[in-house]
Amino acid sequence: MRPGEVDLDAIDPSGAIAEAAHRVSRRAFLAGAAGAAAAATGLPAAALGQESHTTDVEILNFALTLEYLQAAFYTEAERLKALGTVPARAAKRIGAVERAHVTALQRALGPAATRGPLFDFQGATEDDEAFLRTAVAFEDLGTAAYKQQLTRISTPAYISAAASIHTVEARHAAWIRFIAGARPAVDALDDPISDGEAQRLVAGTGFTRPRPRTTARTPPPFTG
Amino acid sequence: MRGAGRRWRILAAITLVALAGALAAATFAHRQGGASASPAALPGAAALPPPASSGLTIPEPRPLPDPAHTAVWAPVRRAVTATEHPRAASAEVARVEERTPEGTTNLVLVTGRATDAEGLAWVRARLPAPPGGATGWIPRDAVGGYMSVDTRLAVDRAAQTLTLTRGGRIVMTAPVGVGTAAAPTPAGEFYVRNRLTRYRSPAYGPIAFGTSARSPTLTDWPAGGFIGIHGTDQPRILPGRVSHGCIRLRNGDILRLAGLMPVGTPLTIV
Repeated sequence: MRPGEVDLDAIDPSGAIAEAAHRVSRRAFLAGAAGAAAAATGLPAAALGQESHTTDVEILNFALTLEYLQAAFYTEAERLKALGTVPARAAKRIGAVERAHVTALQRALGPAATRGPLFDFQGATEDDEAFLRTAVAFEDLGTAAYKQQLTRISTPAYISAAASIHTVEARHAAWIRFIAGARPAVDALDDPISDGEAQRLVAGTGFTRPRPRTTARTPPPFTG
Repeated sequence: MRGAGRRWRILAAITLVALAGALAAATFAHRQGGASASPAALPGAAALPPPASSGLTIPEPRPLPDPAHTAVWAPVRRAVTATEHPRAASAEVARVEERTPEGTTNLVLVTGRATDAEGLAWVRARLPAPPGGATGWIPRDAVGGYMSVDTRLAVDRAAQTLTLTRGGRIVMTAPVGVGTAAAPTPAGEFYVRNRLTRYRSPAYGPIAFGTSARSPTLTDWPAGGFIGIHGTDQPRILPGRVSHGCIRLRNGDILRLAGLMPVGTPLTIV
């Protein structure tokens, strides 16, 4: 990986999280072909959508989805204990913060909070290089996404909250980049991510999966 | 030369301390003079609204709970044959299907990981295989994303009791019915695979859990002879050695268990 660059092609396309950032209204989204996948994964369908259809609730739910992704990623990396000392320490510390972000957003949204998807990180939490490459992508995306959403939130209290999380995500991004051997600060200006770029990045993760079906309405066939 | 340098450093330190003291004295005098602690408003400045309070209360980051009480499971993505060692050319242990006989996604409990000589990732999995459960290695890409639970279920056949713990703490105990001598409940390490609800079968009560345990004697039982944890329409015979291998609870207890125990919970039967 060259300094200052991130290899995003290392992950497979899926598009599940991308649905949450697609530039359509939730109603239009669910009516589309991609709606079935989003419904299966339970992901919100807003945040980078049309201005007239995007509410603070939808924006916070998009933020919550990203936090679910990051929290699950670092938590799994810590639990599997497959990383080297330095990446493992980062996973432990950043994971604790991301879990706190999840809790904060869930509490703020209450019953309106979106349910966390199931993630399959396909080994990215079990190999140092894959972990760092993915972590850099996640933190850069989170930083840029929060910056973009700050301009769309209408409630001042949530603007303040999003800004406070944004700076923390930026710190994470710099730290992970440093560990990965990439330049922590690539440019003089940290631009928000465009809708199209956000879609490409999140669609490239392929990490969200439908929840496995573990319940059934069938008479038990057990021995009794 | 060294003495001259040291004298300059001492002089610089004395100067800094003097300046700090002067600054502190000036500040103290200003306050004693009755000036307001807050700066005066700029001339012509409009009144500003108070700053917005944060809409989020972010809790203190906490570490993960003790991993000793955490178990990891994964859904099976494709049918695969588990092997004795983490390599393709190894003795076969058992076939792992994508679905359970009940039609739900099959699960395996993940107890380890390894990489073979070709760089392929493997996971060691607890399998639904007789008689006391079995473990085997399956390719990492045969299973999906990891899920974790911090609950554990223990069934004591001699005491005829069930104990559920969460994070190492007991959250529920209940009397149970276990298998007869002719159809014993198997001992070993297993796990909960699914939850069945809204069926009409009073003998199984309102809810049933499927496990990876299989009867050691009822080998020709339809659908594989798997052991379940379920309610009953004969609560008065509990506790006791009364079943065909399943673990039976009174209906109130199975409902309570259903509210506490997630799928994927490891099950130990002694």
